[in-house]
Amino acid sequence: MSNEMSLNQKIAKLDEEVEWFYSDDFKLEEAVEKYKGALDLANAIKKDLENLKNEIEVLSEDFSK
Amino acid sequence: MKENLDSLTPTEFIALVNQTLEYAYSSVLIKGEVASYKVNQGKWVFFDLKDENSSVSCFMPVWSLRMPIEDGMMVVARGLPKVINSGRFSFTVNTLMPVGDGGLKKAFELLKKKLGAEGLFDEARKRPIPKDLTKLGVITSTGAAGYADFVKILNARWGGIEVQVAHTQVQGMDAPDQMIRALKYFNEKREVQAIAMIRGGGSADDLACFNDEKLVRAIAASGIPVITGIGHEVDESLADLVADMRASTPSNVAELLTRDRVEEKKKLEKSINRTKQAVIQNIEQAARVNREKMMRISESILTKYIDPTLNATNQKTQKCFERMNSELKVLMNAIEQKMKVLKALDPMQVLNRGYAIISGRIAVGEKISIILSQQVLEATINNIKERKKNE
Repeated sequence: MSNEMSLNQKIAKLDEEVEWFYSDDFKLEEAVEKYKGALDLANAIKKDLENLKNEIEVLSEDFSK
Repeated sequence: MKENLDSLTPTEFIALVNQTLEYAYSSVLIKGEVASYKVNQGKWVFFDLKDENSSVSCFMPVWSLRMPIEDGMMVVARGLPKVINSGRFSFTVNTLMPVGDGGLKKAFELLKKKLGAEGLFDEARKRPIPKDLTKLGVITSTGAAGYADFVKILNARWGGIEVQVAHTQVQGMDAPDQMIRALKYFNEKREVQAIAMIRGGGSADDLACFNDEKLVRAIAASGIPVITGIGHEVDESLADLVADMRASTPSNVAELLTRDRVEEKKKLEKSINRTKQAVIQNIEQAARVNREKMMRISESILTKYIDPTLNATNQKTQKCFERMNSELKVLMNAIEQKMKVLKALDPMQVLNRGYAIISGRIAVGEKISIILSQQVLEATINNIKERKKNE
């Protein structure tokens, strides 16, 4: 199974990471690292959003018969 | 001269006539007004199709009747002319569709009442369309403008979806059966998470196929949730009523099924800003707490260890205050330093000094975004050259 996260998984992870900053787990010592991590993830999501394409296939089945 | 008296029996003659009729008119469309409509033994439908001058007797099995009809309705019947064994002429109908605003509206209301009574349109039956779809089935005519609009909006808003398109007719007498076959196909394959049935705007006659009883029942029976986008906002079909979700147009189907990547980008900016705000707030809070703590400690030292009767100018007391102030300043400086580091991470500070952030692939012809403090510029790279030293 691929470890690559889907775009939706990345967005969900970023939401989680942002919530950490507002949670009781927040530690000032870890904040800068966490912030950098969130920023990297946000940039990766932006890139994915730019490149995301749909695959459209017209089926060869003949539905007239 | 002897005449050839070879003759036919009535049965042979009728068979010959029917053979000739079938050869000459294998499929005929007749448009007329329904009269003398009746159903015999719950199995056979009889009626006449008439105009001002003529009338044709029609017959069809009740299961072929896909929309309710009644006397006075204008309909188009497709069928085969036939002479029955009694020698009477009859038109055997295999497909029947109401036409004209009056007939269509009446048929729509009758079928809506019948299917509504069965609970087919109940809200409780409706299933949610899965969020974040990755596999979608589409039933439409690929040549229709509605399909082009759907694809355009879908691609503009989101990506990463595998879309399987079943090309069918979306108007006319054959459309319902084709769409039913496509529904069956997707349900048998079980590869898609939702099915979108779409068609652009058209006249009431054009959209009448979406009021076909068998099609409505097939949508209701689909094991995969169905979303419809048929015609315009004002058009309401029975397919819309029975579907799990109704969109006003094909473009609206794409809007309801996907997130908007532009909105997602805005949300990202907000998320990052939120984290920055959270860190700054926490540091400010920590600074406040420390300041208060130091004040409390100094007060406590004053009250506990310093004799209040001593003169404030006492040298020892003065030294004690000076030491405390100096420690407090060191602590506050350390906190302010942390805040400066944090603020330096904010790209907005850099942008405010007149710099820009460029994002996108660096290649000739590629589109790039240039982010300034107040604007985002979209540009295309025309030329790339190496930067010389000191340039």
